[in-house]
This record gives sequence, structure tokens and C-alpha cells, in this order.
Amino acid sequence: MINGIKFMIDMYVSGIVYAACLVFAAGFLCKIYFGYYKTPQPLKIPQTPQPTTLSGVIMRMAGDVLFFRSLAKGTTLLFIAGWVFHFTFLLMIIRHLRYFVHPVPGFLVALGNGALAIASLLMVALIILFVRRFMDKKVNYVSSFADYFVLLLIMGIVQSGIMLHYERFRPNVVEVKAFMLELMELKTPFLVMIMHPHHAPGNPLFITHLSLVALLLIYFPFSKLMHAGGYFFSPTRNMINNAREVRYINPWDKG
Amino acid sequence: MTEEKTAAEQCDEACEANERIQEELKFSKIKVKPVKLTGEINIPDLNPNAMLGVKAQLLTAKEMLEHLGYPADGLIPNWKEVFLRKMDEMLKKYRSVKLFMDICVKCGACVDKCHYYLGTGDPLNMPVARAELMRKVYRRYFTLPGKLFGSRFVNGSDLTEELLVTWYTYFYQCSECRRCSVFCPYGIDTAEITMAAREILNSVGLVQKYLHEIIFKAQTAGNNLGMQQNAIINALEFVQDDLQEQLEMDNIRVPIDEEGAEVLFVTPSADFFASPHIESLYGYAKVFHQAGISWTMSTHASEGGNFGLFIHNYEHMKKINKRIWEAARDLKVKRVVGGECGHMWRVLCNYSNTMWGPFDYLDPKYKRPQHICELTNDLLNRGALKIDKSANEEFIVTMHDSCQVARAMEMGGMPNGQFEIPRAVIRGVCEKFVDMPEATIRERTFCCGAGQGLLGDDMMATRVKGAMPRMQAYHYAKQESGVNFVALICAICKAQLSKMFPAYGIAMEEVGGIHQLVGRAIVLGAKESV
Repeated sequence: MINGIKFMIDMYVSGIVYAACLVFAAGFLCKIYFGYYKTPQPLKIPQTPQPTTLSGVIMRMAGDVLFFRSLAKGTTLLFIAGWVFHFTFLLMIIRHLRYFVHPVPGFLVALGNGALAIASLLMVALIILFVRRFMDKKVNYVSSFADYFVLLLIMGIVQSGIMLHYERFRPNVVEVKAFMLELMELKTPFLVMIMHPHHAPGNPLFITHLSLVALLLIYFPFSKLMHAGGYFFSPTRNMINNAREVRYINPWDKG
Repeated sequence: MTEEKTAAEQCDEACEANERIQEELKFSKIKVKPVKLTGEINIPDLNPNAMLGVKAQLLTAKEMLEHLGYPADGLIPNWKEVFLRKMDEMLKKYRSVKLFMDICVKCGACVDKCHYYLGTGDPLNMPVARAELMRKVYRRYFTLPGKLFGSRFVNGSDLTEELLVTWYTYFYQCSECRRCSVFCPYGIDTAEITMAAREILNSVGLVQKYLHEIIFKAQTAGNNLGMQQNAIINALEFVQDDLQEQLEMDNIRVPIDEEGAEVLFVTPSADFFASPHIESLYGYAKVFHQAGISWTMSTHASEGGNFGLFIHNYEHMKKINKRIWEAARDLKVKRVVGGECGHMWRVLCNYSNTMWGPFDYLDPKYKRPQHICELTNDLLNRGALKIDKSANEEFIVTMHDSCQVARAMEMGGMPNGQFEIPRAVIRGVCEKFVDMPEATIRERTFCCGAGQGLLGDDMMATRVKGAMPRMQAYHYAKQESGVNFVALICAICKAQLSKMFPAYGIAMEEVGGIHQLVGRAIVLGAKESV
């Protein structure tokens, strides 16, 4: 009986991790390749400020991606909350690398010291974004269930993650890491397929945390979260403003 | 027997649908009052359906519709099928449209950036909400979850007559000025979505009158006003006589169709006689005369503007643009220069090369089409024009950056040249120049409120409301610095502002082109040539 439940948990945990990674990778790449890369852009439509050189465009896009410069021109609250959210989220993802690499490099250990503070900041930013979406009448008007859902999902991930930090809920970290490293081995997916999964950590909160992350990954390619890869294909941002100098060819009207 | 009956029934149903739509979209005159000018642009509260009643007139002239390749009898019977086919085509031909359907996170950075929203408070005039009109259809019909589980599941819209009405109403309340996309973290350009939506509406038979009438005229007569060859020659001869009389000089000319001239000059046909546009035409003639550059206008390409840009119909735009390059070849000119027109800058300079390039028959030194401001600025810098600034002494000038120039492409080969060069020209011919508040100029400039096909008299309600931010900014500059003239480089802006100024209680004469000021300040005859 116990063994049966144990087996099902092992199968579930291994299964969702693989399913999530597969759906995310395949969905994301398909969207990027067929949806954005392969769709032609007939005319050059770079938006002001329009760099006239490639390096200028790279600087411009770096400014947008790293410092949200376009957003900074508009609303300050959204800019700050949005930037803090993305930046701290990125730091948390980087910190989680320690479960996937061995030995753990020094900077990941150092990052671990500030992890709780970073996660708390992330939560605060999420709460601000959520409340703003709800309270600002204009933003509320354009928001639908999906917009709140993503915020709540990430809040769930962050909250379960913060709780895992505390002794009371903490899983056996050594066990977690061993499991993750096993999952990354090439033979493991085949073992799961023939119903021989590795032993997964049984901590219910850990399984919740992992499940929510898997849900986020699966949801990613079908949602507005595609802005992450999509930005790089945005013709108002990634085009060089030199149509007079260098003839730009319309892919479906080559003249 | 039964088949015939179903066919007849179907027709009845379709005809009824068309009648209902025509009734819904019927133009009704709505009077709106301009707000009192305070110099502040306040963000209004949501006022749902405030502008639902403002609908652009439909084009019914069969000859024009047939020429343009659109259905001639209103809404077609199988409109849903055609609608989706056209939308699919848009999504496959324009990466902009496809990408912008997917990546909006509805962060709200754009909600208070549109002049039509600021003027009306209508939530569907918020850029994100406008784009969402198309996204709802996209999610329902073009994504897997939408196809499988229906519109409720993906927050989508089914195709209904009501949806058509909403689309037609609000995609003709967007002036495609691209202000929202400056602030968008991903550069989502609502103009691209509006252009696609308009072409989809065209394909099912809902064709807006003002815009498409002009596309027809530009394709058949060569200019937006539909003037025939002799009318153009008459108008320009009249301008020349007028100039010669005014200046008491008989060698200043407004040449037309002169083979072998150095410059082919194209400008909005409104410049031929509308006011204050014509003042700029005097200015161009004086610049060319004084610089000793031989130039000519063309009866074949008698229009700088290109309304084909305003809908995602590449062929329309290309056809109109072709006339300029045919004329350039026929007249054997060395270069092409464009006059004061906003979207001309985008089409002529930014897209010509893609559509009809490369221009190896032009002088290799001037392979790129130029803007008259680039030319004048260059002449001023070289000291080739003698200027008497005191001729403009009475003016404290500000500049309205026209949206299609400000957010189209550089001037003079340098980023932000489209702001600096026109300002340099103004400073070169005027003593006093003051900018309006930073949030209302340059890349953040506000549309005049009538751009991209919304200048018709049927759009007076949106014109008055949409002009509000610009009016407030101008009023502010007037109060703060005593500004009494706004110079600009767009024929649509000139037409709109010279009508809106009186409506808001400002003198009509305070609007004019940059070359109006240049023309006043040039001292003629002081130098023979460069």
C-alpha cells in the first residue's frame, strides 16, 4: 500500500517535470520559429528613438530588456514594480541553479544568503502589481481572468518557495538535489516510461511548489507570457532605421 | 426546388443583415463642445460608449469600390468566411500583426496615452482595449484553445454583427499616430492592428468613405483632390502669377512637368490652394529660386501623400507611390524632394526603396528621397540663403511634431533628426522659438486629432475631442511664453488645426507651415546662385 502511493508520487513528480519541460520547450520554440521568425515583415517600422546602426539597435533593445526603458517613459509605479518583479524573479531562478549543478559555484552560495530578502521583495512587487490591476479602473477594465491567474500562479510559487525556506516545511535538500540530478540523466526519462522512476522527495509542500512551476511552464507558450521571447521579434524595436540607405526587401514582394 | 428556396432564403437573410448593418452604421451628426483650455491635460474617468455614436461614413460609390477591389453592395452574404480568410492573410503577411496579437500583457502602460482616450474617456479608445477588439477574434478563431473550447474559455469574441459595428466604429477612431507604442514595453504598435482591421472590414464590404475615396482619386487622377491635369496646371500657374505679382519679380517660377529639372518636387495637393498650405508652397518656390536649383512638379505625380499607408493594403500604397517614380524617370530628374506632409515622409522616404527601388536612375549623390526641411537646412547651414529674421519678428514660434514624421524615420541620417532639423530651420528664420511641454512634443507628440483618414467632416466629434491634448499644450505655451504661432510640416495637421484653433477660441492664423516662415524671411535676389 505504502509502496503503491510512493510509486505514484514518484511517477507524478518525474512525469510533470518532464511534461512541463517538453511542453515549454516545444511550445516556446514553435511559437518563436513558426509564429514570429517565419512570419514576414513587409516594411521597416522602427519606432522612435530609431537607431541607424545595428549596434544602436542592440543598445536600444538591451535598454528595453534590462532596464525597461520604454516602460519607464510612462507610469513610474508600474515601471518600478514591474522591474523589481522581473529582476528578483530572475535572481530566484538563478539561485535555483544550485539544485542542478554540482559542485555549487561560489556566487550561487552567496546569492543564497540574500534569498529570503529577494523572495520577499518579489512577493511585494507581485502584490503591488495585483492590487494595481484591481484598483486602477483603466487597467481593471482591460484585465481578464487570465491576467489575474498568472499573477496568482506566480504568487503561489513564491509563497510556497518562501515557506520551504523554513525549518518546519523544509524538505531534505540533499534528497531534492540528488533527485534533480537524477532527473537530468539521459536514461531517466526512459526509466520513467517503463515505470521505474527514481525516488522522489515526498515533502507535500515541495511537490506543490514543483507542480505550480510545472503548471507555469505548461501555460507559458499559450499565453501572454510569450512576451519573453516575442519582444526580440518586435519590428518596432528590432529594426535598423536605414531604409533609405539600404534597400529593405519585402519578403512577399521581392520586386 | 428545395435548393432554390434555400438560396432565396439565404439571400433574404444576407440582405437583411446588410440592411441592419447599414442602419447601425448610419452617419448621424453629433455635436460636441470643446473643453475650456486650462493648459493641463487631465486623464479622464472611464465613460463607456461615449463615442459609440461617432461613425465614419461608408463609401457607396460603386465605381470606386469596384476599382479598389472591394465589395460594391455593402456587407457581403458570406462575410464571416471572408473576414476570417482575410484576417488569416493579415496574420501571415505581417509579423507585426501576428506578434502583437500574442505578446500584450495588458500592463496598462498605454491606457492614458491616446489623444482620443484623453479627449473622450471612452474605454475602447484606450490602445490596449482597441487592440483587444482584434485579439478577441484572434483568440477565438486562431488559437488552439479557442478553436477547441470556444470564446468563453479564451475570453474571445464570436463573429457577430455587433462585433462588426464595434470594429468599424473604433478602428475608425484611431489615427494610427503610434504614440502608444512609444510607451509600450514591447513596442506594440496599435497602428499596425488598426491598418489590418480596416483592410479586413474592407474585404467584407464595410469601406470608409473619406479615406478610400482619396485612395481612388490618388490612383486614378494622381492626387488626393482628384484634380485633372489641366486643373493642376491652372492652379500652379495661378500660384506663379500670384508670387510674381506679390514679389514684383518675373523670374520666380512654379515649374510643372519640365523635363531635365534637377529636382522632382512632390507635395500634398492641398498645398496648391488650401490655406494656410499655399503659404508653404510660396516658401518652397522661394527656396528653390534663391538656391538656384531647377525644380519641377508633376501632373502625373501631383500628390506627396499616400493614403494607401492607412490600411494594410500594400498594393494600394504601391500603386500610388509608383506615380512618383514614373514621373522621376520620365522627367529625368536627379533627385526627388518631398514637401510638408506627415505620412508622405513615411511612405516616400521609408518605403519607396522597398516598393520601387533601387533608384539607380537618380544622381548617386541623392539616391534617397529627401525632405524639403533637409534641403533647406542644408542651404541655411551653407549660407546659401540670405535670411532676414526680422520679417518674422511678430512671431513667437513653437513646433507641433506631426506624428507620422516624429515616429517614422530619421532626417538627415541621424537619429532624432526629424526633431532637430525642422527646429533648426525654424531657428534659422525666426528670432524667437519656444517648445511646448516635453511630454507633448518630439517622440511623445500628440496627434492633431484627424490623421490617417479621420479628417472628414463626418468625424468632427472625434476631431474636436482628439485635438484636446494639443490644444492644451499650445495654450500652455501661449500662457507661459506668449507663443503666437505653431509651425508644422503636415498638410493634415494644417487643415485640422486651422479648423480646431477657432473652435477652441484661438485665431486661425496662428497655424502654418515651416516654409511659410522660411518664405517670409528669405531675401530674394541678394545672391544669384550657390
